[in-house]
Amino acid sequence: MTIDITMYVRAPSRISAYLDWLQMLTGAGLILFMWSHMIMVSSVILGPGVMNALAEFLEEYYMAQVGGPIVAFIFLLHFVLAARKVPFRAEQQSTVWKLSRQLRHTDTWLWMIQAFTAMIILIMGSAHMWTVLSDFPITAAKSAARVQGGFWLVFYLILLPMVELHVGIGFYRIAVKWGFIRRKGRKGFKRFENILTAIFIVIGLVTLARFWFLALPK
Amino acid sequence: MGRKLKFNIFRYNPQDPDSVPHTDTFQLEETESMTLFIALTQIREEQDPSLQFDFCCRAGICGACAMIINGRPNLACKTLTDDLPAEITLMPLPIFKLIGDLSVDTGTWFREMNENVESWVHTSKTFDLEAEEERMDNSLAEEIYELERCVECGCCVAACGTANMREDFVGAVAMNRIARFMMDPRDQRTGSEYFEVIGTDEGIFGCMGLLGCEDVCPKQLPLQDQLGILRLKMGWSAIKHLFRIK
Repeated sequence: MTIDITMYVRAPSRISAYLDWLQMLTGAGLILFMWSHMIMVSSVILGPGVMNALAEFLEEYYMAQVGGPIVAFIFLLHFVLAARKVPFRAEQQSTVWKLSRQLRHTDTWLWMIQAFTAMIILIMGSAHMWTVLSDFPITAAKSAARVQGGFWLVFYLILLPMVELHVGIGFYRIAVKWGFIRRKGRKGFKRFENILTAIFIVIGLVTLARFWFLALPK
Repeated sequence: MGRKLKFNIFRYNPQDPDSVPHTDTFQLEETESMTLFIALTQIREEQDPSLQFDFCCRAGICGACAMIINGRPNLACKTLTDDLPAEITLMPLPIFKLIGDLSVDTGTWFREMNENVESWVHTSKTFDLEAEEERMDNSLAEEIYELERCVECGCCVAACGTANMREDFVGAVAMNRIARFMMDPRDQRTGSEYFEVIGTDEGIFGCMGLLGCEDVCPKQLPLQDQLGILRLKMGWSAIKHLFRIK
């Protein structure tokens, strides 16, 4: 129903802009965190000693103990901010699903993947953060024991591509949405983002394999 | 001998209480350089005179013939059947009010949009009929013209995920309009006045960056660039306001 005349005029507000900035900045922050997180965890490929030394360094200066909960908070904040745009009503979900199937448009599908992976990451990411942050210190042996248990291997085999897809697409989306990448650079940037995502998934898989084959202390 | 084309066309007349939405199938032999305009006219003349669709200029200028062609919004007059498979499905544009079959009322929607974003030059100067027109830098005039090329066909709105989900979203076409006036030195609106019009979740901050608009625009308007520029501009304007920077 359209109302032609109303006595009330909405007061001008800048809240949409601030929330959009926050959504983008929390997203960008999490992207940087996920990249450095993956690089640091993958240090186990060089040897468990390297990873242990890194973890020890981060814990010595309380970076992990303080940084962990901060990242968890940003993670939840980013979810709440981005969820403003995710369709939760069945009618909207059906509309956007039909549109994506009909349009056969990559970027619309990428957004669907972003929204879908977000839900999985919200649950699995929280479980992962709880497990790691409630069991300091972080050591290669403890991580390897978790992976070799079997359950967490499957858990991370699902979480890894979900996170990397979400991070990669988010990176691309921020760039095109905020005008950092223009029409001319879009195709090349998308290819760069795809390669980057693939590289991080491979690093993640190799890291998991390293944990799987790491000899556990008796 | 041309290909045998099969058309699946959406049929529904909302004015007729007995009409139910359904698909009718028509067969047609393809001729050389056949556009969808030619095909639809032929179907109407030879097979079903009740078929409703809109056409005016037949040259991609008026924007009247936008429809969903095999799932994608485009102008029927500039779509060659040669570029399509032998089975062609035609649907009316979503979002806009259906007049009948493939014909939709984009006019009402666009009028409301133009009113909402105050799509005209705002100036306090009195227009002097006798005076010589104010001069404008040629490159700027060309930049403005680039955005003026919009034919208001509605394809960008139909391909927009946000506009499909939320009817209060103004769509890329409105952002393009505003971007055009922001460039225009004759428009005296200030940054915060533009912000009031477009700096909302119904405006630029509602855009999710799916870029359906950019990829279907039959006039290849630089929508991605304009949306990006506008988001940054409006974003900075809000930050400046927050820190009281002039």
